[in-house]
This record gives sequence, structure tokens and C-alpha cells, in this order.
Amino acid sequence: MRRIRKRKQSERKVMLFRIAIILGFIILITAAITTVSRLTIRKSDEVLSEKVVSLTASLNVQMELNLNSYLSRMETIATLAFAEEDAYKYDATNPSNDEYESINREKKITEKLNSLCIMENFVDYGIVYRNNRTVGKVSNATASTFGDRIFRELSTIVTRQRTNDGWAAGFEGDFKRIYYVKKVHENALLFISFYVSELDNVFDNPENMDAMEIRLVNKDHDIIYSKDSEEIGQKLPEPIAERVKDKISSSALDDEYLVSVNQCNDWLVVCSIPTRLILVEKNDLTTYFYLITGVAAVLAAVVGFILTLWLTRPIKKIVVDLADEATTDKLTGVLNKRSFEEAAKQKLASEADEHRAMLLLDLDNFKGVNDTLGHAMGDKVLEDTGAILMKSFSSENDLLGRVGGDEFCVLLSSPDKTEEQFMTYLEYKCSEICSAYRDNYVGKDGSYKISASIGAAVFPKDGSTYSELFSACDAALYHSKNRGRDNYSLYEPSMAESEAKKQ
Amino acid sequence: MIKRLIAAVTAAAMLLLTACSSSTVVLPKTEQTVITLSWWGNDSRNEYTLAAVKKFEQMHPGIKVKCSYSEWSGYESRSRVQMISGTEADVMQINVGWLPQYSFDGKGYYDIEQLAGTVDLSSFSGQLLEYGRRNGILNAIPIAMNAETVYINRGIYSSHGLDIPKTWDDFFEAAKVLSKDGIYALSGAEKSIWLMLIAYAEQKSGKKIFNEKSQLCFGEEEFRMMIELYCRLVNENVMPKVEDFKRYNIDNQVYAGVVAWVSDALNYFKGPMDKGMDIIPVDYPAFSPENSGEGWYAKPATLYAVSKNTEHPTEAAMLLEFMLNSDEWADLQGVEKGIPVSTKVREHLESTGVLKGIQYDASQIMEKNTRISAMDSKIENSDMFGNFTSSCDQVLFGKASLEQAAADYYSLISQLYRVAES
Repeated sequence: MRRIRKRKQSERKVMLFRIAIILGFIILITAAITTVSRLTIRKSDEVLSEKVVSLTASLNVQMELNLNSYLSRMETIATLAFAEEDAYKYDATNPSNDEYESINREKKITEKLNSLCIMENFVDYGIVYRNNRTVGKVSNATASTFGDRIFRELSTIVTRQRTNDGWAAGFEGDFKRIYYVKKVHENALLFISFYVSELDNVFDNPENMDAMEIRLVNKDHDIIYSKDSEEIGQKLPEPIAERVKDKISSSALDDEYLVSVNQCNDWLVVCSIPTRLILVEKNDLTTYFYLITGVAAVLAAVVGFILTLWLTRPIKKIVVDLADEATTDKLTGVLNKRSFEEAAKQKLASEADEHRAMLLLDLDNFKGVNDTLGHAMGDKVLEDTGAILMKSFSSENDLLGRVGGDEFCVLLSSPDKTEEQFMTYLEYKCSEICSAYRDNYVGKDGSYKISASIGAAVFPKDGSTYSELFSACDAALYHSKNRGRDNYSLYEPSMAESEAKKQ
Repeated sequence: MIKRLIAAVTAAAMLLLTACSSSTVVLPKTEQTVITLSWWGNDSRNEYTLAAVKKFEQMHPGIKVKCSYSEWSGYESRSRVQMISGTEADVMQINVGWLPQYSFDGKGYYDIEQLAGTVDLSSFSGQLLEYGRRNGILNAIPIAMNAETVYINRGIYSSHGLDIPKTWDDFFEAAKVLSKDGIYALSGAEKSIWLMLIAYAEQKSGKKIFNEKSQLCFGEEEFRMMIELYCRLVNENVMPKVEDFKRYNIDNQVYAGVVAWVSDALNYFKGPMDKGMDIIPVDYPAFSPENSGEGWYAKPATLYAVSKNTEHPTEAAMLLEFMLNSDEWADLQGVEKGIPVSTKVREHLESTGVLKGIQYDASQIMEKNTRISAMDSKIENSDMFGNFTSSCDQVLFGKASLEQAAADYYSLISQLYRVAES
């Protein structure tokens, strides 16, 4: 029994060893894959960020070029008005004007201006005079917005000295139209306007850059154009405004935003996108990387497990065999003397609520067997003794050991018997073993007879330690031998005295 | 064992090669059918139309609508260029006068009845659809009815002790009081005043300017009446010259009365009314109040038509149906173009409580008036009223006598239009 327990202990140790190898393998592989993945991701992040910033900067430049081109075209169409002589020579404020002539000249100018702007989505294409009289295409919206301050207000838009013109949006918070104003002469201004939504085509970013927010803002960061029309007239959102402050051309990516800005006239084209949106593919990639790492770790664990099982199988066999050899008497199958002694001491030291007793068995006439029947027979008898003992003491609680050449010891335990039952059981077992020899080892012709003598002692009455108990058994055995062998004796203190006297 | 190892290594290598192999990157692009939509209008019309188009595009992601729009001024010329050059939009807002101009035989626009599978015409009466027919072919669908209407700033009139004017003379009487404060009793843009003067001449002469055959019935005498009245109105400070009409003078309370379309009521007066001015639509002026409406004309405010050249009639029809019958479009449009004639849309607007306010009141005056006539679209031709204004100016500035100006004008016009036999 003890041998099985020992074997299990050895197997458990081998299993722990295997688990340690597998865990180590998994940790090693996971650490390696994770490290490689993280380094790869970090590098790809850097490359991706650079590319995205570069692309956004390109997009922004393209938007700025689009806007510049569009505004230039509008300026060119506006300037065509100067092809009409009346348009730049006529002055509605001149007090010497003949009213009738003025009406007709104004009609002529109006017809000419209307024909020049016919194919564009202009809201206004007209001339306003210092007395607020207008000619050409002048919308109700503009008339309502500026009222009788139209000349004065539009004059403020002329800010470029070289060309005497300028662009503006957001008069009194009305950002619906964008105005271009050019001075005709001291008392006349040419002005055109178009709806802000006309810039939809100018700022039509590619479908794959759909999340990019493109805004046109003035120097005060009022939004002149945005794809989200609700934003027009509002201030540039604070996080974006902070990033474009005092900048006229830059692109930068940080943890929150990618912002690119370029100047066009007095306005800024601002492209922005939350970083988390542009790096959503990167985040997917990272998740993919980590998923691969996880899968690789699982695969490594499976492979490691199989390899470990495969590699440690011979080791396990060797370890178990060695453990068996170290604890077991090979001939009889019971524990060897050292192992028995060690196990018995351990068991006796434990405080289990059970009855215990020790039996010391010695084969009678064993030397004679060796001498007469040969050593092979002697070995056979010893081997059989092991079998007899294992058959008789089959409980896991019992310890069996070979403690001498032909001496065997049993530490008997019983947790579920009364003292009386245990003593009866002890004597029954002693008698059973003696009978086993009597039945099997008497030659037909009486040429040989092998028997066993047994001495038994009860723990702790007859001895509270291994050596005390063993001595008691030895005294009882001596008593059995003196009684003519082939019997058993239960220890009594007088036996010890008798043995002492003998010695 | 070796075989197993070789198999495992081969499998791993293949996996690695598959992972590392390059592949062609194809960027997916949404395929869209692009159609175009054009209209004229003010800020509010542009805003709600763009918003409605966005809704339409959301409902039909496969369709992209490109918009072309502008204010009315100059739009007529632009439309003419587009129609003649074949660059017109797939779906167009058109004026009723353009139907004879571009579709004399009914083939100038798409036959909308061919799109009846998509466009539900059941909410439009046959009588209304007649406005959009040319030569029996349904070229356009009317959105709302419209008429020139007189709006009075009741606050100004009452503060000067004046009643709401009902007759022509009432305006002249009011001007005697109001002009002392630099206020005009009446005002209007060129076409509005032209139509008002026609009403005056028809009432006075008992003649229609065009008969049911579209033949010109007015002669020198009727045009003389119109020029005469115009000059009187200007000279007696009842109203400013049409060239001097400025919208902002409604806000400035320089104009106590305005002639304007029903569909322009909100556009013209919402701002002043928001500032607290009491402006109301009144009965059409006449020589006697019981004849109110005589000589005045109603027409479809605007119509929707589909280009005969459209390459995407199905998509154009889907947009047209959305514009004509959908609650979404009706909610955004409201009564901006006038009171919709579609029974379905009108019921929806009634249920949502939109049918109220100055524009609705003006349309009610038009709808309830039994004397008002259906307009012949020629009346709105710019060469008619443009030349008429020039003739008026000649008289005003002493460049021609009243009779000469009327004769010259009639001579010009009678060459352009078929004249009815007397």
C-alpha cells in the first residue's frame, strides 16, 4: 500500500513538473509574441501617423487650392462688369444726372450685369452707389440685410489695397451668403454674393475621408462654411481653435485630434478629425494583433502540452521506477526496511483515532530451506510471504515491510473497531498467517516444513514509539519461538523481562 | 514522427506565406445616380429645399441630387439659356409662362403622365392639372395658386385716421394724408404694378387684356389708361416709381401699402410683422368694392417639370413624387410657395396647424373671390411689362405725350402678339 502511495507521489511530482514546463512555455511564447507584436504595432503606428498627417496636409492644400480657384473664378466673373463702359463710368450720385437718362442707363447696366452672371448661382451681381441706389441683380435678401446702409457696409469689405477689393461673410451674424466687393469708383462698389452652400462642391472631400471635418473660418474663427450647416456662424470648436491658434499653415496629430490648417485670403481652411476616428483601422489592427497573439499562445500551450507529455513520458517512467526501487523490496513487493521504518514512525507519530498494533513475523527453519531446498526455493518462500501478507493485510491503512532476511513486519491499523474487536482481529490475523504456512509449506513426505512465528504488540500499550513497539514484538516473537515455533504471541511485559534475563 | 514534424512545419510555412502574400487593394465606391434640381427663391426657400433634398438623399442613398438655385432676379434669362442649350436640370421649378415659351406643342418638357407609376397625381384635380398641360400633354404640376394681392400696414393707415382702402380713389385720398409724412399709400415691384394696372384698365374698359384664344384685346386706349394711372400714382405720391421700389422701405414704414404675390407674403412681411407691424391682406381694389377681384388674375405660383432630356426619368420621378406628395417635404415647405393645391398635402398641413398667418389669409382672399380670372401666361412676359415701364417713364419725364407713348407701346406689342379681331 505504501508502495502505491509513493508511486502516486512520484507521479504527482512529475505532473507538477509537466505543468511547470507547459506554463513556462506558454509564458515564454506569449511574452515573445506580445513583445514582437507591440514593437510591430508601435512602428506601424508611427508610420501610419506620418502617412495620415501627410495625407491630411495634402487634402488641406487641395481644399485651399479649390477654394482659391473658386474665389478667383468669382473675382474674374465680377471683373467682367468692367467691360461695360457705363458700369464704371456712371455715377448715380451725380446731382447733374438727368433722371430719365439715369433710369435708362441703369436699365442698360442692369441688363448687361444680368447677362454676365447668368450661368452662376449668384445671389447678387450688382453695383451700389453711395446714395444706396443699386443696379443689376440685387437680391431681396441682400436688400433686407443691409437696408439703407448697403454702401457703407459693403465699403468695409474692400480691404485689399492693390486690387481694391475684398471678401467677407457674416454681416450681423448672417453667414448665409459670401460677398465679394470691388471698388468701381469713389461712389460705386461692384458686389457679388453667393450662398455658402455653393462651397459644398469646393470642399467635397473624397468618400473615404468622409469623417474629415472641413471648415472655412475667418480670422476670428467664426465658421463661414462647414458640411454641418448648423455650425455655420458658430465659433470654431475650442479644441480645434486651440490647435490652429496663430497658425496659417500646419498639420499636427496628437492623442485627440488631427488638425491641418492653411490660409486662403484672410480665411483659414481647417481640416480636422478626432484621432480615434482616423486610427480606427489601426485599433482594429491592434486588436487583430492581440487576437493573433492570443491564438498563438493557445496554440503554443497545446503544442507545449503535447510535446511535454511526449518528452516527459520516459522520464516519468524512470522516476516512478526509481521511486519504486527506492522504497520497495523487489523480491517480496513489500516496503524495504528503511521505507517501512520511516513510514511506520510517521504513522505512529500521527494522531489518528484508530487502534494500531505491530506484528513481527519470522520464518522458522528458513536457513534449513536454503540449505536443503536451495536458494531458489528460499526466494520463492520469501516471495510467497510477501503475497501472503499482502493478501491478508489488504487495507490501505496497513504497512507491510521486510525488516530482515526472513523477518517481516506489519503495522496494523483499524479506525472502525472497538478495542475488543481489534484484539480479536489481531489474533485472527496472526492465526491466519500461521495457518497459511501450515497449509502450503509442508512437504508430502514430511521432508520439509516451513512455518512462521509471530510476535505482536499493541500501540501504545506495549510501546508508544516505533522502537519500543518493535522491541515488544521482538520479545513476543522470542516467546513464540521458545514455545516451539509455528505460533504467535501477544506481548506481555513479562516477556521483556524474560528476554532481558536471557541476554 | 519525422513525417509529422515535416507536415507541421509545411502547414506553418504555408500559413505564413498566405499571411505575407500581397493582394490588390480595391477602394469601394458608392455608385450613385446623379440628378439635378433647379429652382429660384429666397433664403428660406433655399434652406428648406436643401434640407428636404438631404432627406430625400437619405431615403434614397443611391441617388445624389445636385442643386442649382438663385434668387428670381435674372433667373428667367438663365432658365432660357439652359432650356435652349439643353443644360436644364432634370427636375425644375418653372413659371407658368415658360410652358408656352418652351413647350409650344407640349414636347418641350417630359410627359409626366408617363411617370404616373411613380408620381401620384390623384391628389391634383383635373382642373388644376390643366394649368400644366400643353397640347394635352402634362408638362408640369402646379404647386400652389398665386395672385397679386394688396397688403396694407393697418397701423400706419389707422394712425393717420384712414380706413383700409377698397377703391382706387381711396388710395389717392390716403396719399393726400400719408405723403405729408413721406409715406406712400401703395408700392410695388415692376411686374406687380403692371398687373395691378391691367386690373384697373380691365375694370374701366370692360375688356380682357387677352381673350381665351390668347389674342391681345387691349388697344391703345386701354394702354393709355394704364400709363395714365401709373403717372398719376407717381405724380400724386401715391406710390414710388417701380425703379425706386426698395424692400427695406417696408421695414422703414415708408410704404403703407404693397402689391405683392400671395407666395411672397411671408418673404416680404414676416420681418416687419416680427417687429410688431400690423400688416394684413385686403380685398382687391376696384372702382366699387362689390366688384373687387375684377381684372385681377390668379395663376399657379410655380410648377414642377421634368426635363425632356433627362437620362434618369425614374429617379427624377421619385424626386418629383417626394416634392409633390410627401409629408416630409410638406412639413419643410409649409406655405412658403403659397397654399399647396395637392389635397393630400393640404390635409396634412391642416392637421399640423400650418394653414394660418398672412400668407394663408391672402390665399383665402384669392380662393374665395369669384371675380378673379385665370391668368394667360403671356401677361407675365418681361417684354410686355419692361417696355410698358419705359413708356410710362417717357410720359413721366416729358419725353412723350400720353397718347404717343400708348400708341408706340401698342405698336410694339401688337407686333409681338396676335391681336384679336375687333
